[in-house]
Amino acid sequence: MKRISKLLAILLALLMVMGSLAACGKKDTPEEGSKEPTATNAPTSKDTTTGDTAKEEKVDEIYYLNFKPEIAAVYDKIAADYEAETGVKVKVVTAASGTYEQTLKSEIAKSDPPTIFQINGPVGYESWKNYCADLSKTQLYSYLSDKSLAVASGDGVYGIPYVVEGYGIIYNNAIMNQYFALADKATSYKSMDEINNFAALKAVVEDMTAHKDALGIKGVFASTSLGAGDQWRWQTHLANLPLYYEFKDNAAYDNTVLAGLAANEIEFKYAENYKNIFDLYINNSATAKGLLGSKTVNDSMAEFALGQVAMVQNGNWAWSQINEVAGNVVAADDIKFMPIYTGVAGEEKQGLCVGTENYFAINSQASEAKQKASVAFLEWLFSSEKGKAYVTNDLGFIAPFTTFEEDEKPSDPLAREVLAWMEKDGVASVAWTFAAFPSEEFKNYFGDALLEYAQGGKTWDEVVAVVKDSWKSEKAK
Amino acid sequence: MNKERRKRKTSRIVIFVILIVLAALFISPILIVLINSFKGKFFISETPFELPNAETFVEFENYTGGIGKTGFLHAAGWSFFITVCSVAVIIIFTSMTAWFITRVKNRFNNMLYYLFAFSMIVPFQMVMFTMTKVANMLHLDNPVGIIFIYLGFGAGLSVFMFSGFVKSIPMELEEAAMIDGCNTLTTFFRVVMPVLKPIAVTVGILNTMWIWNDYLLPYLLIGSEYRTIPIAIQYLKGGYGSIDMGAMMAMLVLAIIPIVVFYLACQKYIIEGVVAGAIKG
Amino acid sequence: MKRHTKRYFPIFVLPTLVAFTIAFIIPFVLGIVLSFTEFTTVIDAKWVGIKNYRAAFGNKEFLNALWFTVRFSIVSVATINVFAFLLALLLTKKIKGTNLFRTVFFMPNLIGGIVLGYIWQLIINGVLYHYEVTLTFSPTYGFWGLVILMNWQMIGYMMVIYIAGIQNIPKDVMEAAMIDGARPLQILKSVTIPLVMPSFTICLFLTMSNSFKLFDQNLALTAGAPSKKTTMMALDIYNTFYGSVGSEGIGQAKAVLFFIIVALVAFIQLRITRDKEVEN
Repeated sequence: MKRISKLLAILLALLMVMGSLAACGKKDTPEEGSKEPTATNAPTSKDTTTGDTAKEEKVDEIYYLNFKPEIAAVYDKIAADYEAETGVKVKVVTAASGTYEQTLKSEIAKSDPPTIFQINGPVGYESWKNYCADLSKTQLYSYLSDKSLAVASGDGVYGIPYVVEGYGIIYNNAIMNQYFALADKATSYKSMDEINNFAALKAVVEDMTAHKDALGIKGVFASTSLGAGDQWRWQTHLANLPLYYEFKDNAAYDNTVLAGLAANEIEFKYAENYKNIFDLYINNSATAKGLLGSKTVNDSMAEFALGQVAMVQNGNWAWSQINEVAGNVVAADDIKFMPIYTGVAGEEKQGLCVGTENYFAINSQASEAKQKASVAFLEWLFSSEKGKAYVTNDLGFIAPFTTFEEDEKPSDPLAREVLAWMEKDGVASVAWTFAAFPSEEFKNYFGDALLEYAQGGKTWDEVVAVVKDSWKSEKAK
Repeated sequence: MNKERRKRKTSRIVIFVILIVLAALFISPILIVLINSFKGKFFISETPFELPNAETFVEFENYTGGIGKTGFLHAAGWSFFITVCSVAVIIIFTSMTAWFITRVKNRFNNMLYYLFAFSMIVPFQMVMFTMTKVANMLHLDNPVGIIFIYLGFGAGLSVFMFSGFVKSIPMELEEAAMIDGCNTLTTFFRVVMPVLKPIAVTVGILNTMWIWNDYLLPYLLIGSEYRTIPIAIQYLKGGYGSIDMGAMMAMLVLAIIPIVVFYLACQKYIIEGVVAGAIKG
Repeated sequence: MKRHTKRYFPIFVLPTLVAFTIAFIIPFVLGIVLSFTEFTTVIDAKWVGIKNYRAAFGNKEFLNALWFTVRFSIVSVATINVFAFLLALLLTKKIKGTNLFRTVFFMPNLIGGIVLGYIWQLIINGVLYHYEVTLTFSPTYGFWGLVILMNWQMIGYMMVIYIAGIQNIPKDVMEAAMIDGARPLQILKSVTIPLVMPSFTICLFLTMSNSFKLFDQNLALTAGAPSKKTTMMALDIYNTFYGSVGSEGIGQAKAVLFFIIVALVAFIQLRITRDKEVEN
């Protein structure tokens, strides 16, 4: 009996706690429920205005939903510094690779939604326009070196690009020089300067594969990562090239993104060029075709860093991934960029793919004060000395803002290469046309089809059909 | 007779050997994960069945790295907090509800009973989106609010099981207590609750297994800020740029350990509880 | 007593009822209503009639997921129950270490779906590595991978239920059969199996509903690869909701259909149980 009463005492104590808890919950629910719609629709009700003015004085926390997992750790440091300096807490949540849209969708519905998120351009703006605040009056917008880069609609500016990036084929010059010095090589090229079209690239790559033991590599190209969430180098970045050329042929537009946005259907007429380079990647890879489905971008970058391969397709953001691999054998001076050649006529004048798909948007449904605090954070990041140092050195961003001086450009080898290619005479960068791709789903269909093609489960014609069909069906949505 | 016995003995030995082999097969996946948790991340997916050697052995690097990366200790803390609180709340409130609607017979309570029973067959996806939305609106998307959601979502099975048990308890005891001057509340906790103990253990175990392992509900409600263990593990895939197999193996091991400890500590209750739950539920 | 007790309704029932209403009743009703509308945030719903249902039935991925789920459920229900029953038979033969074996076989059941998925992904990809392919190579691999995983998880669980059933067979019935000189197989066929019929019904029901609703394991093991060919219904519904903006209505319609199918399976199962109970 004693034990029972003891148990009872504990239970009762628990009950009281829970009871009071539940009671609060009950009290809250109807009020909050009725508050919600008024808060978003008409800020006239007494309840919400007092709430807002109270917040106006001090915002404790803003919330940034980050898109780039590879630099998530840097943002945590930035947030800590910013909080120490201003007292405003920056909550940074990073969506897992390939799940940004999904995460944004469930986060934005929450009672504490992100105040800063990102859209990938005009297509992203279409999806999220109800949540994008007008930024045309902000200083951040005034910092932008080229105002036409922003996502605008009517008189408003809804997305501000915060990084310019370039991608192409990254190569290890030491291995290339080793190849050029080979006595029994089958090609006559003597340096990378001569490799300026697909035919030359293919000849060199295939001959390197034949000599891979002599060169001490597992394959010429790093694994073509086709695991779910790791397909973006192919279904987005590589896919950019054929569609860039296709839309460029459309004389009605002088901008490939606009031409792409207007296209309800595509011909995919440069599909053969895509196949050229993709086949080259998977046939001269460090990994057997059947295993590509389990490979990740990290795997590829590690292969490159460890000197197991000579080339990998990626962008300047990959520097941190190469740099952090333990046992990294590639000297920074040997890391170079070359454009992705696919066999299109005149590609000798083609440069790297340069552009952005990263635009900041401010959640217009957040309170006025939170919006202001969010903009203030971004302005701090891109104009204060401390913030700029983070952007240049840790995030490695080539930031498109006037607040950055010439000597505040990132100094890592890949970023320098991108800048060098942009300034090269007679070479034109390829615009990031994938901003016009109809949806994330389109890219996923494309990537899945590529995986099946690599594994032998689909013919190339079927891949082409998937790409054309899913463009059409996703555009129709 | 002797021959018969010998035949029996050999057949027993054969069965014993079969069982040993099967048991080894059942355990091996966990052992393989354990072995790989001590190998470097680039050696795991290609040779998962090899023991670590001088080249591949990394000591506890995957553990220390993985714990730091995923915030595993926080995740374990949240998993623990949410599971314990939710199960306690579920046991207390649903047993009260079940007793009440079984003892006080009227049409409303009867309807409630069937509603609770009905909710058991509804798959989560049916209410996934709308429930998340309602919880967001009511600001229940935090680790305390989710307890309330678990009470609501776990009520079906729990009320149903408690009700079945209450029906089998004679009413005399309760009546005697009432006559002794106890009010309904004290009667319930002093007289009814002790009798309900076996079924409370069953309900507790079933709900613990569900909530501890639950992924989608906490992911949608609180996953961005408060990761439970399953969310932390799923986030390893892609959440940090790319998957780190070493950290993944180490975290799988850490995720399994509490379960194994819990299981070995009260396996009798667990197996009995699960059987009872299956038969009654 | 009753009059007094009734007044305690707010304490005894209200907390559970409020939670149940918020977490289940409102979302359920709202879900059915919304399946006839187009919406992105619940508040902005527009009535569109059965358009969403038409779209769901016209959706190749949904039909594919349905078919995959049905095939998967049939195969895994059959294999799990056969293996679990055989194991239960072996473990009721009074072999040394029975308890230890039972402990081992049951353990995987306690491990969560996400963890299970990654454990088996490692193992299956490790085996397939020798053939230079992975789980994503063909949907067949994903299918059997899921079946193996599900077997590993559920066999122990079903086994303990069968053991309980077998142990409940009255001793005298067994002895009578043995004295009559019945052979072991005969005993199995005409005594054991008929008498553990209730356990069969329970186990079939549990494996069936667990297979149908499978989500975590599916997400962790294959996530639908290749080309969503191994996506099961629960995952397909999740993808429809969260994969893109604008198809929430279709997602909800799929969810309602999913509910109806699960309910139907449960209902049929219940009918069979009742019939059996009448027979006994």
